[in-house]
Amino acid sequence: MLTMEGGGETPVVLSGRLDATQAGAVQAYLDRLDGVVTLDCRDLQYLSSAGLGVLLKTHKRLLGAGGRLRLTQVNRHLSDIFSYSGFDQILEIEPGGR
Amino acid sequence: MSERASFERRIDAIADIFAFTAAAFARLGAPDALRTEVDFVLEELFTNIVKYGRGEAPVAIDIVPIPDGVEVTVTEPEADRFDVTRAPQVDVTLPADQRQPGGLGLHLVGRLVDSVQYGYSQGERCSRIVFRKTSNAPLPGRDNGDGRC
Repeated sequence: MLTMEGGGETPVVLSGRLDATQAGAVQAYLDRLDGVVTLDCRDLQYLSSAGLGVLLKTHKRLLGAGGRLRLTQVNRHLSDIFSYSGFDQILEIEPGGR
Repeated sequence: MSERASFERRIDAIADIFAFTAAAFARLGAPDALRTEVDFVLEELFTNIVKYGRGEAPVAIDIVPIPDGVEVTVTEPEADRFDVTRAPQVDVTLPADQRQPGGLGLHLVGRLVDSVQYGYSQGERCSRIVFRKTSNAPLPGRDNGDGRC
């Protein structure tokens, strides 16, 4: 289960688990956004490689138009995934407290 | 003591797999802190089977408690041989504009668990992937087994 809120002038708040069953919906949601897009991940409990694919595709699209993707409040599981995948060198990531 | 369940080869079965691991960990008394990584590995292995496997028979998952963790077995009947421990390496140092989708999931599998073994039974056309995850210091490793289904 995953919910998405916000965007535009406010961060996109992702809550729940971003797995292969949710990746299409998240991609469609993020495809509507431009500029510097911030994802608030404080309630994002889980991220699989399908989610990484969404983030990469979105970041590349935004970069091409002068924007970027940034993530805030990233938990330990997500930090490990970003580190092992090298995404911590691609995306602007702000760790969270959990 | 062990837990076992089988899952149809559909991406939306991932939710059922997560429900199974939650219940299995509770019944087995396995460390719940390990469940996120176990779910991750199961999702990657299962979606790989759904995307590339040619069989139709359900995929079985067994979870057995071991000291400080679990041993998980994913059994794929009607399988072609594909050793996930020898999947092409992914260059995780590439910049964003040179990154391509694909392969990252299996790369991460090897990083998140203590060990992964792959076995294939030619006669039964059955593949078996066994991985261990414990709360001990991570020991990323890739071993090839000769498991039978």
